[in-house]
Amino acid sequence: MRIFDYFIPLEIIYVFTGVYAVLVGCSAIFRVIYYRKKSDKIKELITKVDSWWKMVIGITVIVVAPPIYGTIIIGYVSFVALREMMSIGKLRGSDRVAMLACYLCIPIQYYLAYHNYYHEFLYFIPLVMFSIIAIILVLTGDTKLIGRSMSILPAMLMLTVYFLSYMVLLFNVPTPYGLAGSGGLILFLVAITAFNDVFQFTWGKLLGKKKILPKISPNKTWVGFIGGVLTTGVLAFLIRDLTPLDGLHAFLIGLALGVMGFLGDVLISAIKRDLKLKDTSDLIPGHGGAMDRLDSIIFTTPLFYHLLILCI
Amino acid sequence: MKRIKYIFIQVFYALIIRPWLTLFIGVKFENREIFDDKNQFIVVANHNSHFDMVSIMAALPGRKLKHIRSIAAGDYFGKSKFTTSITQFFFNSIMISRKRKEGEPSGIEVLDDCIKRGKSLVLFPEGSRGQPGVIAEFKSGIAIILKKNPGVPFIPVYLDGFGRVMPKDKTIILPMVCKIRFGEPIYIDSSKDVDSILEEVKAAILGLKNADEEDRNQFTY
Repeated sequence: MRIFDYFIPLEIIYVFTGVYAVLVGCSAIFRVIYYRKKSDKIKELITKVDSWWKMVIGITVIVVAPPIYGTIIIGYVSFVALREMMSIGKLRGSDRVAMLACYLCIPIQYYLAYHNYYHEFLYFIPLVMFSIIAIILVLTGDTKLIGRSMSILPAMLMLTVYFLSYMVLLFNVPTPYGLAGSGGLILFLVAITAFNDVFQFTWGKLLGKKKILPKISPNKTWVGFIGGVLTTGVLAFLIRDLTPLDGLHAFLIGLALGVMGFLGDVLISAIKRDLKLKDTSDLIPGHGGAMDRLDSIIFTTPLFYHLLILCI
Repeated sequence: MKRIKYIFIQVFYALIIRPWLTLFIGVKFENREIFDDKNQFIVVANHNSHFDMVSIMAALPGRKLKHIRSIAAGDYFGKSKFTTSITQFFFNSIMISRKRKEGEPSGIEVLDDCIKRGKSLVLFPEGSRGQPGVIAEFKSGIAIILKKNPGVPFIPVYLDGFGRVMPKDKTIILPMVCKIRFGEPIYIDSSKDVDSILEEVKAAILGLKNADEEDRNQFTY
């Protein structure tokens, strides 16, 4: 479909129509219920849906608008996530210069991703930033607990900047003519990851009994995990038209993303458990912090990119 | 001239500083609405960094800014003409030297005069930014002023995390999640003595900190 001389593939429009229909429905229904009977539970649901509106609008811009806007939005999300990790992480007062270097590397990494300097993109954070952080920490001269800072700062950068910036690389994946283009790839990835969370939650609530990781996340069950991953595979098969993948590959990638999304979720839960936090922050009303929302997408993005490149 | 200045800082705080604080630095304003129906008040907060004053000014409703007066240490901010004019322009500061010379009016007298003229105040009873993360002993000045003016409520403010954004003696500003939380206005019973009023003020500020929250004004070692 052409809107203002700008081409939006039909597949993307179908998916977004569905998503916005669900959002409008939820907002309307919850507000009607709240109008009839004021209760805190419904109020919480309304704040949740309102936050979803903002997130979905952000995703729409990333998918539909020219890549430069998407790059800026994803870069800002990276920045917010890194800021949050640094705020909850156990860092020392003398790490401040190294922390500044971490913040400054975000625009560089996204510049490399946007211009598809693939080689430099791959080594910039794991090699260059890792060394720079270590060197700065050593030159600062505070040796007490230096090993901890030297390891968690690069780890934070990997999680919040390196993994997430793979999403910008998806803009540069050459997709055959007639398919939904790079926007379709990002929409596929985001939809699969988000619905994977929903499916695992729903299966676990409906049928879950045996806990999968009781020490880390007491709400996760085997049924939720397996049912969620399989449903995600089916969903990936159904919306494969967003990508150049064929049916079997789409199904398998869906399964892989489902497993990875679960692992990312559990990883952030483990970190929160260690720091005795319920949420990473209270940035998004009704959802917790940015990292609470990004936990699974962080891990699915690089996996999706590399599997996709293998398949096409 | 004064009017142009206040219009300028009103726009400056609303359109530049507040978005910059929320989007870039990561400040979360909580319960900012309590100022809406208050005409005169004394804002009392804990003090950790230069950002404390900036965020309080950004949190206040724009039309109240011209009635706000704050205190700046004359021996620190009054060192050069440039810093003096900057603090006076953006924070409506009154310079009060911590080392008072003979013949100068005392800080209490100046502040009391401000209140009598209908102005509102922003005070940091700890006096200086002090050690990061440590709420220092409160100076009694705030209690004396509150006792003299029982009709003016104080608004306790708890500032969380600003000590990591820009600690004392550091020049780097780092974005960090931080929070500025306003409490309900409290009127003081003027028959109490200064010490118990001071205790009440301190308890009000500390009471804004939730029990399960970690103090984020300092780095952990």
